[in-house]
Amino acid sequence: MCENSSKLVAWLDRELPEQEWSGIEMHLARCAECRSAVSAYQEISREFLFCYEAAMVRPAPRRRPRRLWIPAVAGLAAAILVAAVLWPRPAQRLSLRLPTPSPAPAMAFVRPVAHVAVHARPKPIRTQWVIVEPSVEVELPAEALFPPGAVPAGVSYIADVRPQL
Amino acid sequence: MSGDAVPWTLPLARFPSTDREATTLFGELRKPLLRYLMCLGLSSEDAQDVVQDAFLSLHRHLSGGGSEQNIRSWLFRVAHNQARNRQNSFDRRFSAPLDGAAETVLDEATPERVLLEKEKFARLGSAIRSLSGAERECLLLRASGLRYREIGEVLGVPTSTVADIVERAVKKLAEKCNV
Repeated sequence: MCENSSKLVAWLDRELPEQEWSGIEMHLARCAECRSAVSAYQEISREFLFCYEAAMVRPAPRRRPRRLWIPAVAGLAAAILVAAVLWPRPAQRLSLRLPTPSPAPAMAFVRPVAHVAVHARPKPIRTQWVIVEPSVEVELPAEALFPPGAVPAGVSYIADVRPQL
Repeated sequence: MSGDAVPWTLPLARFPSTDREATTLFGELRKPLLRYLMCLGLSSEDAQDVVQDAFLSLHRHLSGGGSEQNIRSWLFRVAHNQARNRQNSFDRRFSAPLDGAAETVLDEATPERVLLEKEKFARLGSAIRSLSGAERECLLLRASGLRYREIGEVLGVPTSTVADIVERAVKKLAEKCNV
């Protein structure tokens, strides 16, 4: 390879100092290899320039349109998933199965029990299940059933809620 | 080298005011700047925005008493940096603008001629894509009519480095295209 081959492009672009440029020009007159190389560099420079000029003529390159539906679908799916997980569920209805009401129990007057305490406030209803084959009795304080003073203190009523067979 | 009638040195001294300078420069350098930016891969709209911003910067530069030396390379450098900021990927540089170059210019050529030109430009496009970013940028600025010294100012490298890069790039293209 010729020793001047590294300066041929600069010679072509007139980027060499005047004296050096003239020296290369004289060299080209007698070096066929360098002349051929300069011819090739000129041609490729012309083609490059041609493409460069064409860039202004043709419409500008457009970016590929983004596939916007992909993130949209993904976002929608994620939103549905989150909503399904976090959506407040309706309170679970507990079915209270009560026994069918039986006819009104018969009430019996019983003697007051000596140890029954007298309360100023109505005594809460206590249910007392007595195993009597097959009976169910509920003790009802008189204060809960009658106005104060209508019934002697300490009187209770026992309701027999034994199902009638 | 370039098809544009861009003077090598801009006679700024003959302009009476900085506004006039910027306006005249805009007329002379707008097209080369646009072409350079589009070859870098910017869309036409982005390239026009960048050129406008570059000239606004030039106006401020001159109004603020900035140096009037090397205005052309100054403008290209500003536009180059703004283009870099706007461009996420340098891989697309100068690849898309080449595609279809033959169809654009050779509308009236014979089908055989168009086919040959297409093949030639396909080879050239492939060769250009194989260049490094610096090699492509040097060739683009060279095609814009900038001297090696100006290219060095735009890219921030010494003039000798620009000469080496241009030399290497042109030889690569010639080898790959079998010219």
